[in-house]
Amino acid sequence: MKNRLRFLLLSAFAIALLPGHARADATTPPEWAGIVNIEVSVLFPDYREPWNAGQPSGGSGTGFLIGKNRFLTNAHVVSNATRILIRTTDDPKPHPAKIVHIAHDCDLAIIEAENPETFAKMTTLDFGSIPRLNTEVIAIGYPIGGDRMSVTRGVVSRIDFRPYSHTSVDSHLCVQVDAAINPGNSGGPVMQNGKVVGVAFQGFSGRVAQNVGYMIPVPVIKRFLTDIEDGRYDHYVDLAVSDFPVENPAQRQALGLQDDGVGVMIGDVEPAGTVGELLKPGDVILAIDGNPVLNNGLVRIEGDLVNMNEIVERKFAGDTIQLSYLRGGKKEDASLKLKRFSPYVRLGSQYNQRPRYLVYAGLVFQPLDRNLVDAHQIRDATVNYVFERYLTDKLYVERPEPVVLTSILPDQVNTWLTPYAQSLVDEINGVTIKTLDDVKTALAKNDKPFIEIRLHEKNRPLILKRDLADTAHPRIMQTYSIQEDSYLGQE
Amino acid sequence: MQRLLFLLVCGLCVSAAAQTAAKKRVAPSAPVSATQSSSLLKVNVTAQPYDLHLPWQKQSPINSRGLGVVVAGNRVLVTAQLVADANYIEIELPDGGQKLAAKVIAVDYEANLALLESAINAEKEKAFFAGLKPMEVDANARIGDSLNVWQTGRVGDLIESPLTISKILVRRYVVEGSGFLVYETTGIIRSEANSFTLPVIKGGKLAGMLLSYDSKNQVATILPGPIVEHFLKDFADGAYEGFPGLGMEFQVTLDGQLREYLGLKPESPGVLVTAVIKGASAEKAGLKKGDILLAINGQTIDARGDYKDPRYGALSSSHIVRGNAYVGDDFELKVIREGKEETLKGKLTRKNPDDYLVTPYRFDKGPRYILNGGLLFQELSRPYLDSFGEQQTENSALLRLSHIARHPDELEEAGLKKLVFLSTVLPTPSAQGYDQLGGIVVNKVNGQSVGDLKDLDAAFKAIKGTTHVIELDDFPHVLHLDAVAAEQDNLRLQGGAYRISSLKRLE
Repeated sequence: MKNRLRFLLLSAFAIALLPGHARADATTPPEWAGIVNIEVSVLFPDYREPWNAGQPSGGSGTGFLIGKNRFLTNAHVVSNATRILIRTTDDPKPHPAKIVHIAHDCDLAIIEAENPETFAKMTTLDFGSIPRLNTEVIAIGYPIGGDRMSVTRGVVSRIDFRPYSHTSVDSHLCVQVDAAINPGNSGGPVMQNGKVVGVAFQGFSGRVAQNVGYMIPVPVIKRFLTDIEDGRYDHYVDLAVSDFPVENPAQRQALGLQDDGVGVMIGDVEPAGTVGELLKPGDVILAIDGNPVLNNGLVRIEGDLVNMNEIVERKFAGDTIQLSYLRGGKKEDASLKLKRFSPYVRLGSQYNQRPRYLVYAGLVFQPLDRNLVDAHQIRDATVNYVFERYLTDKLYVERPEPVVLTSILPDQVNTWLTPYAQSLVDEINGVTIKTLDDVKTALAKNDKPFIEIRLHEKNRPLILKRDLADTAHPRIMQTYSIQEDSYLGQE
Repeated sequence: MQRLLFLLVCGLCVSAAAQTAAKKRVAPSAPVSATQSSSLLKVNVTAQPYDLHLPWQKQSPINSRGLGVVVAGNRVLVTAQLVADANYIEIELPDGGQKLAAKVIAVDYEANLALLESAINAEKEKAFFAGLKPMEVDANARIGDSLNVWQTGRVGDLIESPLTISKILVRRYVVEGSGFLVYETTGIIRSEANSFTLPVIKGGKLAGMLLSYDSKNQVATILPGPIVEHFLKDFADGAYEGFPGLGMEFQVTLDGQLREYLGLKPESPGVLVTAVIKGASAEKAGLKKGDILLAINGQTIDARGDYKDPRYGALSSSHIVRGNAYVGDDFELKVIREGKEETLKGKLTRKNPDDYLVTPYRFDKGPRYILNGGLLFQELSRPYLDSFGEQQTENSALLRLSHIARHPDELEEAGLKKLVFLSTVLPTPSAQGYDQLGGIVVNKVNGQSVGDLKDLDAAFKAIKGTTHVIELDDFPHVLHLDAVAAEQDNLRLQGGAYRISSLKRLE
């Protein structure tokens, strides 16, 4: 999943548009004026020194007006933003903007100008539907290679269910086009017959694939817009199962399936997911909401074969779903309320979050997630195992938030402990560490002269004398210039 | 494979005298003699390790050349590395070039030593060994002693490289779990046509065998005389038992706060026992995790885990048992448990590689496997995991297998002898749809628990109906295999493109 280029241009655009280059060309429709350049200053959180603010940087993308002072863009364009400026082709003035809604799981965001009057009179763009294969589309935006609006043209190459690289752990419907989509195009509209049919968002880097660009299609955008109607984004819901295609004749027979191509086996079930209490491996899903599920896990929607998740994708938390499944050759039906499955989130990149941590006597504790693993380039086999197998081995059930002793800031009090950096914490002072908050609770236990930290799969406990550690703590904070000894999240 | 093959890069001068002169020019500080040793033999080996991923076949043959030392009874001592997975071994007289096929009569891959004997009839053997003189072992080298590495030139002339012992310590030899005594020496060893397994001589006696040479730092490690002596002594009665081990791990107690927590007085010796291997000597004697180990066989263990060796000074305590004691010897551990001193007694044993859940090493014999309808089942081994190199930390299935390999205790408690896993799937009609699977632990087959491959073999025979039910520990948890179709595929696998010689190896 690493080979997908994220179209966030990391170097700031320094060039302001010159006055006098005012009006867009007479041949361009007036509603194109609502396609704007979004200039973003960002602060990349520092997961190695989580007490620091992070690394300032900048980027640029595209957005377009879809309602009164409402611009749609990609979540990755405005992620970790400290300042957002909207720039248009016919106005030299930057317009400060802010995020209204951001959905990292489908890489979409709504921003609005701080001054609602600015874009009050501008025409908005309308949405079309999923374009057919081999029909022409144009992508409009502000990609690299120049400062003014760019238009590229191509056809719809493929409609498929694909991973979205912003989080790297979410997959949704995705439309591939061969119109050039380059860094900076992100968040811009892809249009057909004057209607928006998608939001350009990612491409393929590397030398293997050519002319491969992806856009977020209308069903995903519509779902996002519906979700935020109540003023809050509630995320996607998920069956949280892994299906195993039934290709083997013996498998098919043993599972009690007909030879009609219907039915996909459940290979794994997340206990915390929607069907966690209903299905188990070896069950066979026959139909979702009356749509037969084929042996390879596909369903037919509007004439096209798509992943069965697509049915669930278009629903919301609390919606019901009808499942027909086989267990031991017997057909069962069930009606379930869909819910969000959140443990997977920490396996993907997360944004707009201040890193959580706790430092005590030079020992730095942080919750295990993708951001931490990437920043620390963890080499410890146990931490890597727990991270990789967090879902598959259902480790989240026991430890919703595994805590890593990420680093040890050397001081005389902890000098013998430094080899134990990058270890997974099991318990502290007898308290099982299930979340970062537990570390705080456990360290506060003051009934013994020693602090005893047990690590997973390490050969000795880490021992600190309470009085020595308490004395060393402020000294270490000062030497390493740490202002706050913990950030555990918003109260 | 850590096998080095030295190529003869330049033709050597023909006459011994001219050669001496040439040598002097190259390395004037290293005196050389044109004499010949009557105790050295060339050893030529063709080795062919098994393919760990397609276990019915072998990898390409590798030729290695080394030196052997003649010891009593017309036997030849070499390193085990040289003869590992050997198909064919021959010994050669350095001067005359006569060759004799040889065979391994004792080998210890942990101690990295092997003993060879003629594979041909006694008469030929007698003639071959007639001019050779057995060499004695010197087990008394100390730090500062001068040694000589012996090599032979093209016509059997002796080439000596002097070394000085700078350190004596305990270090891993080749395979996992092989911490033994080594001499670390400094000096230049010139590269000759023989590879490793070079004898190291002190005063005409064998002081050790070369283990490794770092030419950049001119540091060599030597498998020392005491270990050679132990190996030969053990074999003297014809039944080789190997080096015993306590089977435990400890942590140093230098950290003052840890010492206080453990209740150790500042001047008290002792290390913290952090793991006790199931079924090994220490466990049988009652040693427990969390004990403070104070002494082994009366030798006090300091906070670093060292003891005072009368010959070598501070040395890792593992040498007390591994290098000095024999299987069957009594041993005694002094520990502190819950604040009280206790003495634990037992008899030393050795845990064979096959006694481990995850086989630490395996040579000469092919990996065990069962192939059924394209599904390949194997028993997890260290070499198998190591063969993936860096991938081990990236591939999800391998991460899980490696995780299990690091923590065999629970599974051993549950009665598993080996860890059987589905290693790969060859594309066959009966395994249609399964070809992407691999690296998944097998729990049950046809309702029977699988504790090793023999269990699996029996379970396949205990089929109910005509479909095998294979229960896995991980996604997709259950596979079905049509027994009749699998049998047809088995025939095809043996005769078809794969030309698989046998569908299983259980020994």
